[in-house]
Amino acid sequence: MTISTNQVFFAVLALLLFGNLIIKAAGKKRAQLIWNIIFLAAMAISAGIEMQLPSHDYFNVVSFNPFSLFFLIIFTLGMLLINLLAFAFSEDYGDFAMLSVFALVGMYLVSLSNSLITIFIGLELASIPAVFMLMLSKRSIESATKFFIMVSIAIAMLSFAIVLFYGGTGGVSLSETAHSQLLLFALMLFIASLSIDASVFPFNLLIPDIYEGSPGYLVSMLGGLNKKVAFAALIQVLILSFLSYKSAFMVVAILSVLTMFYGNIVAIMQKNLKRMLAYSSISQAGYIMIGIATATQTGISASLFLIFAHMFAFIGLFGVVAWLENKRRTRIEDLAGLSSENGLAAFAIALFTLSFVGMPFTTGFIGKFFVFLSAVNSGMLWLAFLGVLNSVISIFYYSKVILAAYSEKNAARRLHMQPAVFAAVIITLAITIVFGVYPQPLLSFANSAGAYLFRV
Amino acid sequence: MTPFILLFPILLAMGIITTVRYLAARYAKYIALAGSLASLALLPLVGYGSYSLTWFSFSGISIGISSVIAPLNMLLLAIVLIVAPIILFYSFGFMQTLSEQRRFYIEMLGFEAAMLLFAMAGDLVTLFIAWEFLSLLSYLLIGFWHTRESASRAARKAITIVLIGDIAVLASIAIFWSLYHSLSLIAILSGTPSNMIYLYLAAILMIIAIITKSAQFPFQEWLPDAMEGPTPVSAFLHSTTMVKAGVFAMLLLYPLFYATKTLWILVLLGGITAVLSTLNAMKETQIKRVIAYSTVQELSLMIIAAGSGAIVACLYFFLAQSFYKALLFFSSGSAMKASGEEDLNKVSGLGANRLLYITTIFGVLALAGFIPFAGFFINLGIGSSLLSNVYAYALISLISLSTSFFIFRWFLLASKKPLTIKTELSYSALPKSMLYSSAIVLAFLLLSSFAFFYLPNFLSSSFSIQSFKFAAPNISYFDAVIETCIVAIGALASYLIYKKKKSLRNAALIYTVYNARLVNGAYAHFSKYFCGFAEGFMTLDSYINDAFDGLGKMTILSGEELRKVTSGSINLYLAVFSIMVVILLSYIYFSGVL
Repeated sequence: MTISTNQVFFAVLALLLFGNLIIKAAGKKRAQLIWNIIFLAAMAISAGIEMQLPSHDYFNVVSFNPFSLFFLIIFTLGMLLINLLAFAFSEDYGDFAMLSVFALVGMYLVSLSNSLITIFIGLELASIPAVFMLMLSKRSIESATKFFIMVSIAIAMLSFAIVLFYGGTGGVSLSETAHSQLLLFALMLFIASLSIDASVFPFNLLIPDIYEGSPGYLVSMLGGLNKKVAFAALIQVLILSFLSYKSAFMVVAILSVLTMFYGNIVAIMQKNLKRMLAYSSISQAGYIMIGIATATQTGISASLFLIFAHMFAFIGLFGVVAWLENKRRTRIEDLAGLSSENGLAAFAIALFTLSFVGMPFTTGFIGKFFVFLSAVNSGMLWLAFLGVLNSVISIFYYSKVILAAYSEKNAARRLHMQPAVFAAVIITLAITIVFGVYPQPLLSFANSAGAYLFRV
Repeated sequence: MTPFILLFPILLAMGIITTVRYLAARYAKYIALAGSLASLALLPLVGYGSYSLTWFSFSGISIGISSVIAPLNMLLLAIVLIVAPIILFYSFGFMQTLSEQRRFYIEMLGFEAAMLLFAMAGDLVTLFIAWEFLSLLSYLLIGFWHTRESASRAARKAITIVLIGDIAVLASIAIFWSLYHSLSLIAILSGTPSNMIYLYLAAILMIIAIITKSAQFPFQEWLPDAMEGPTPVSAFLHSTTMVKAGVFAMLLLYPLFYATKTLWILVLLGGITAVLSTLNAMKETQIKRVIAYSTVQELSLMIIAAGSGAIVACLYFFLAQSFYKALLFFSSGSAMKASGEEDLNKVSGLGANRLLYITTIFGVLALAGFIPFAGFFINLGIGSSLLSNVYAYALISLISLSTSFFIFRWFLLASKKPLTIKTELSYSALPKSMLYSSAIVLAFLLLSSFAFFYLPNFLSSSFSIQSFKFAAPNISYFDAVIETCIVAIGALASYLIYKKKKSLRNAALIYTVYNARLVNGAYAHFSKYFCGFAEGFMTLDSYINDAFDGLGKMTILSGEELRKVTSGSINLYLAVFSIMVVILLSYIYFSGVL
């Protein structure tokens, strides 16, 4: 019997889990981090190799395709970075490392899914470990509770939506399509439930509370990965099963506008850095929704690029924020003097926020550019305009952060950054700049991922 | 050869200064000057034509950095490349704090590179990138001394206003894309639009972009405030980069405004700005702000000239203004450095240094419009294009009279006898680079004075405005005499009030008070609403706060966290959630898609 690469993939996954358990039992933090790094890299590689094979569907529930590969790779890389951050900040990295691998398996399931059941299990598996991660820290018990409530509502809604979907189509595969009243309700429930995790207005009202009350490195996971998992699921469900329901995409467009305005306007008046960035990340979800609302291949691919851009900028930004938080600096004014205390931290904050605004030569620019372009191309000029308008509004609060980071303080002394955080920030910075200047490989990748969904 | 090579020496110099830290602190200025001069040396290699590099492509949409070099672009490239090294040379003397030098020269070179990219842009993406970098770098340079509260406030004001323009460009790009499915300037200007309303919208958005960048009403306030930057920055900003970008964009997109018949908007806004800025220049007492207001006025005159069809006059203005404005800023900087004062009533002794005095006189004469200097041809060109409209002609004449008045006022006040011997000594101790750069720029100013007669031939092949008349306006002796009289009256009035008859100053004082009460009342009113956009936005906070407070601050981290979780906010969350789900469901039910 020959060993196929997907078996290698799952074998690596299993090794990752069990290795973690054993090293955790031995109580070696550093070894666990290294173990995770090695195996996460191995998984990304084996997933890449898997793509070279002709057949990728397994049992009608799991499928390796360009779309799933895109998310496999960015989730792996993102989780790796979050492991680095957690290594530096977590009170109990051993438990975190274990949980992070479980959450990652959930994210893999969502990206590999071929059926709604896989999506359901994947989403649950991605969210529940996050609740426990939040519980690891005494300070974030409240956040954990709120997150748990949010997730349970989402899961309840989702299961109901799946039931309705089954009633309408007689199957749970994503490729099932039919037209019935039942499916319309299913569709709306899908949008509502997935919007919760994707932090789309008005299902996101607990998100700022959760972000503010959680440690920074966990926020970078919640906003950087968990939110993107919901988007991966939303895109798959909407495009594969509901492409012919045009009104659904109108709903997405309206939700995206509401989300952008809500996030941006409320962010302007925030004093707390994390809360402000939480609202700003809500508005970013709105931009991603624009691409989905176009229901075209270009739009989806542009959204995928924006998801990528936002994920790494967000992880890097919250890496720095978590580092600042450890130094008890949580308000925007507390950033003062950062440029002379730690040049890299100030530069990172400036660059990531500029990427959120859409400054040329950052990934954010390319993402936004194509998202708006796709909206214009599919005749939604008004949507592109509202997106551009929101970009203006966002400048007001992002510039506050940049100015604060670059303002002077009298008694400035050098602040040291832990090597793990340093590595995470450098990697995210490099990704943001390199793919901002030379986006072609990533664009082609996002394009093929988007094209896969429209293959029929 | 491709024009992008012009950027290469500058970017290389920036790279060297950034990376080689220890060497760079002392030699940054030489590296910067060398980079800037090298790129000037490459200019003759650049030929006319269009060039493009593909940046990335996506779903069949290919986005590149492309360039179109027409005489119009060549003119701006040449101006930037000539003026930039002179300003860098001037900075040798002006920026003497060693620790600031690396940052200063990197930002200045970046500014130059951005302007060059802007000057060579052949499509809207390139244009937008250059535009955006100009905004960002101007922000950094205006707020260069960011420890000063006023500097960072001015920088914030500038970036806020300029970013409005950036977004307008972005929005118009979206419209152009939807109209033509191409972003190349040639395609946009020669295409036939499918939807005229969209084209109007695009034209309006571009007008917003132009008036923000070129500091026209109602966005004019940021430019005088931008004087908070170091003097070389002001000289650069006002002579070649940044503010010229707006006028240049107007010329580049001239067929668009012509086709949509929106030129009158620009002319109208230019007229308002010209009046306001002239009045402000007449009463301003900060030495650099007088010159700044005069820049605002010149920009509006350029826009009026172009808008009323006198493109040659506008371009000549464009060219000559770069030199005399740089020169006058050099003089202000030197006077400020030597006398240690910024208030015109306290600055003294411009005449203490012979070279400085002579160069400044030429600059003043050129700006005022004495015969055979640049300003004279400018006034003639604009005046003759407006001859058909008596009121406009009268207004322009009045403006040129006032211009002559306020620049002589500036000059006479600054060159009064030095108050102390120490001031006089410090004038003679001014760094050589600051004086020689004035002399160099003066040479170019004199050369440019006669460019008026060669410009039409040079420009006639410019792609974007080829269908417009390029003949140099005929200069009749009658016009010349009138023009000279006007300028002389202004100069004489200024001389009488500020030099000879001190008693007349009371009249000037009354005038100023009157002016301040009437015009500035309205002016402040406007600037409060339009220019204080950032502050206005912040005050909006409180209103928005009330509206969104309920949603935004649903819970506060307090002692009784869990109780709150179970009683208060979660319930609200669930309520909002269920209502929204019901709305979604009813939407889908009633929209009748099936």
